[in-house]
Amino acid sequence: MNNVEVVAVFISLFILFVALGFWASRWRKGDMSDLGEWALAGRKLGSYLAWFLVGADLYTAYTFIAIPESLFVKGAIYFFAVPYVGITFGVAMITMPRLWKISKNKNYVTAVDMIQDKFNSKSLAVIIALTGIVAELPYIALQIYGMQAVLTIMIGQLITSDVVTITEISLIIAFIILAAFTFTSGLRGAVITAVMKDIIIFATVIVVIVLVPMYIGGFGHAFASMPKLPFGTGTLPPLLLNGFISLTIGSALALYLYPHAINGVFSTSSTKKLRMSTALLPLYGVGLALLALFGVLAYGASNALPLIHHYGPLVTVPALIYAYFPPWFVGFAFLGIFIGGLVPASIMAIAQANLLTRNVIKPFWKNITAKTEARLSKYFSIMFKFLALGFIFLINATYSLQLQLVGGIIILQTLPSIFLAMYVKRLNKWSVGAGWAAGQITGLSLLIYANFVIDKFTSIQSVLFKFSTPLGFFYAGMVGLLVNLLVVAVGTAISVSIHPKVTAEASGGARK
Amino acid sequence: MTTAEVNSNELSLETKGTTGQKVAVALLLLIPMLVFAITPIYDFKGPELFGLTFFYWFETLWLFVSAAFYVGAAMLLNRMEGGNK
Repeated sequence: MNNVEVVAVFISLFILFVALGFWASRWRKGDMSDLGEWALAGRKLGSYLAWFLVGADLYTAYTFIAIPESLFVKGAIYFFAVPYVGITFGVAMITMPRLWKISKNKNYVTAVDMIQDKFNSKSLAVIIALTGIVAELPYIALQIYGMQAVLTIMIGQLITSDVVTITEISLIIAFIILAAFTFTSGLRGAVITAVMKDIIIFATVIVVIVLVPMYIGGFGHAFASMPKLPFGTGTLPPLLLNGFISLTIGSALALYLYPHAINGVFSTSSTKKLRMSTALLPLYGVGLALLALFGVLAYGASNALPLIHHYGPLVTVPALIYAYFPPWFVGFAFLGIFIGGLVPASIMAIAQANLLTRNVIKPFWKNITAKTEARLSKYFSIMFKFLALGFIFLINATYSLQLQLVGGIIILQTLPSIFLAMYVKRLNKWSVGAGWAAGQITGLSLLIYANFVIDKFTSIQSVLFKFSTPLGFFYAGMVGLLVNLLVVAVGTAISVSIHPKVTAEASGGARK
Repeated sequence: MTTAEVNSNELSLETKGTTGQKVAVALLLLIPMLVFAITPIYDFKGPELFGLTFFYWFETLWLFVSAAFYVGAAMLLNRMEGGNK
């Protein structure tokens, strides 16, 4: 393998990527000192670009790295990602056009704007905003793991010493460049580069999924070479059925609670375009399903296995590509995977920054100007990127997917305050707040108990909690959400029985 | 685009349309979701396709079906909403 050629193609395409990122600020030009222009691309996106943008939230290192890795190491249960994306867009079809309309009516820029207005509570709004910001961090960290995986195998095959240091330096350089163009181009930079990223990825996935099975003798051969995996090989072990279902439903409900996904929704230009692009998004899931199957395919790929053993299962997909394709194609595909982490990291940091200035700082800084608000957001977006980068340099490596699923436990507890708040008039801040607290405590303590007490792991390795046998394994986030919803229901019932009639003003919110 | 320029139907939170249309939308949205959520429907080894167990290929195929159902729902909802394209 000519490794210099791999790196040359990678770097050339990276330069093109950066140029596109900077050029994006001129595209459908708007006033970049306005937060709506910077963070929502001026709310001008039509069906196609919205499809690419929201698709970019989905087609991330989660898809290229985390899911194939988990399938390779643990087995069939991690194919839950496929029904998850299938369901999540149904959830979005129901909830998001409504959120878009409510927000357009009242000029909301974030979902927390709606919470603040509906519940008339600064504290609840701040709590939900901070929840969103915290939940995004492990998701960004996952993106960086993915980028690191590509760099490790590419640099590791080129040179033999100082691989770790050079990988870390390259990551930092990539982040500085990303920070610079996110700063100047905002969401426009993310949208334009998302198109480039998805074209490369689609091409790669199709080529690999057609050719590799031919080289290695089909999926039949891969399954035959597969050892019996703990979490299912060809089908699910009965004890993990509920684990699969709860991961599926939990993740499906969680995606559109993430600030970056809602940010994408708000950037579309109409509900009709939003609906159509959402309806087509399961097609992105097909790519995800095929990439997940790389985790199976790797077992039949005798050329790729030594690389996976050497660099670790994080490189399952890059190793398959490296082992079977010519250098130029490897460089092309690696760049796709690399920016597949970079672009979502940018989108997520924009959403976090948006929330922090608008819903945490602004309520306490009444006379902040629109210009300062936008400028602060830009600086915060840089801060969050480097916070996530620092996080992964410091934290104990774990299965990368678990990071995102921990974020899921946290974000799921905001469901009543965002989804239910759009439909239930009589929801009040006390029951939503109590439900949030009960859900977080339940979900996170199950997580800690399962990992550090029962299994005595030194890092988080599983988000599943094992109940006694008829129930089996269950996603801690869903247990938390059920407790949360129960508290909200009881709290709302009590408040309705105490005050059977509420004036229109006090019920507030969506239908005012 | 300012709020005044947006068609008022587009911002209304009430769903317009006949009962038949509403039932059709509900089915188009719920069927794909329920099939995915009820895992015992597809947690089988056979019949296999391209060497994949039913569990893997059915879920992948169902994504295409879901997209078709959702597009149907989106077209119907967009028509019910009326107003500008």
